[in-house]
Amino acid sequence: MPICVESDIVSARRAVREAATHAGFGTTDVTRLVTAASELARNIYKYAGTGNMIWREIRSGELHGIEIRFVDSGPGIVDLEAAMVAGYSTTDGLGMGLPGAKRLTDEMEVTTAPGKGTSITVRKWLGASGS
Amino acid sequence: MKSENISVIKIRDVLMVTMPADPEDETVSGLQSQTLEAMAQNEVRGLILDLSRVESLDSYFARTVTETARMVTLMGGETIIAGMRPPVAITATQLGLKLGALRTALNVDAALTMVGETKAGKRWQ
Amino acid sequence: MNKSRSIPVMNGKSATVDTPMTAEMFALMLDNVTEYAITMLDVEGHVLTWTPAGERMKGYKPNEIIGKHFSVFYPQEDVDAGKPDRELENTLREGRFEDEGWRVRKDGSKFWANDVITALRDPNGKLKGIARISRDLTARKHSEEQIRRQTQEILEMATVPVVQVWEGILLVPLIGMLDSDRSQQLMERLLERITQTTSTVALLDITGVPAIDTQTARHLVETIKAVRFIGADVVLTGVRPSIAQTLVHLGVDLDGITTRSSLTGGLRVALGMLQLKVVAEHSE
Repeated sequence: MPICVESDIVSARRAVREAATHAGFGTTDVTRLVTAASELARNIYKYAGTGNMIWREIRSGELHGIEIRFVDSGPGIVDLEAAMVAGYSTTDGLGMGLPGAKRLTDEMEVTTAPGKGTSITVRKWLGASGS
Repeated sequence: MKSENISVIKIRDVLMVTMPADPEDETVSGLQSQTLEAMAQNEVRGLILDLSRVESLDSYFARTVTETARMVTLMGGETIIAGMRPPVAITATQLGLKLGALRTALNVDAALTMVGETKAGKRWQ
Repeated sequence: MNKSRSIPVMNGKSATVDTPMTAEMFALMLDNVTEYAITMLDVEGHVLTWTPAGERMKGYKPNEIIGKHFSVFYPQEDVDAGKPDRELENTLREGRFEDEGWRVRKDGSKFWANDVITALRDPNGKLKGIARISRDLTARKHSEEQIRRQTQEILEMATVPVVQVWEGILLVPLIGMLDSDRSQQLMERLLERITQTTSTVALLDITGVPAIDTQTARHLVETIKAVRFIGADVVLTGVRPSIAQTLVHLGVDLDGITTRSSLTGGLRVALGMLQLKVVAEHSE
């Protein structure tokens, strides 16, 4: 789903809440995913202006889970290392966004380059398939 | 989607705000402006923020809350967060959010009782 | 097709369907067996026969489904992935194929089913058709889910016991190390119980924790932070000298967290937090 106006952040949260619940995650895990999505969706809105959130249920052997991708063609993250280390600060900045989302999910992949946009993929796994 | 307007109520000598379940950014920032406006117009001891309906709390929401609390302190009041839900609390901890000097209460009742206590009451650092 | 049914031919020998009596019996069987929907398909997978059981399970009336390809029973993503075709291929190659998975009814609703697809060959080995026997397992899947969840709940209760020792005071006697999973369970269970009982203090007793490593310490601190977010507090009890030493050496920041070496000490603190005091009765 597209992320271009401020109200899309709420829409993103709702979509993830529904998808995560459907995938079988418990309330705490659903809240984690919703919060991570909120952080990453807001990043798109704030730094790239527009982007997209794509999600799907995934399977790997006995495990099954959810994968959410946040893609934009914004300015890209110049210093990814610094962004990942950034802790909670009172100043504006990527702040909690990336490291926060990383802590709340099982896997996170970031592909970015200055001027070339950003793609962030997060995954969270559940127990055995079908449960 | 329309943003909900939050209502700031005055109960005895305290302001109370009940946040909706999944507020938009606009609504969240409204919390700050409306609280300050209410504080300017009323003689109150502080603010009780009822989060019992809130389903998720991201860093933006959290930052707004801590900023609002700081402003309330500067204006001579105190802020108490009431009724945070377990999944939200657990996520907040994992996200690395800090309480700072904010006091917390299990529910609005407890919060009202706390405001009644002297200012020398407990604070979690 | 008129009212007479084409009865699946069983491996040649016993079931000869030439007598009207046997044909009638088979027809009765198909009509009355309701748990299994027995459908015959042509060699390309189009539905040739339909039974009341099939109608009950999948929602189609005979005239709505006969002639259609059996892939309509599968969810779109399975069809896109080529699943029905593969099943057909496998059946023709191996003679038999069994699969359990989501199927779709006429109204679009999903159900969990077990299907056995069998290639029907005459005594000369010529492929005559395909039999598909479906069983709706949704009910079983639901009860399996329920049992799994209940078991998990019981296990959680056993590994993270939370006891109410007084109005407003909970006790969690931790036994063993705290890995990520247990720490998760601990946080969820403790916070849930705190809100249920509106307790303001939780005594986290680590007498039964043999040793503290960085992970366990981190999880304890995380738990305490989460408890504070919801409006309660934790007193860490059972902190014996060796644990205290480890915590200091690990550089764990327990700033602001009240700790006591004994459970009794912790209970005293908890009572104090609730402004309660234990007074001995004097017999006069």
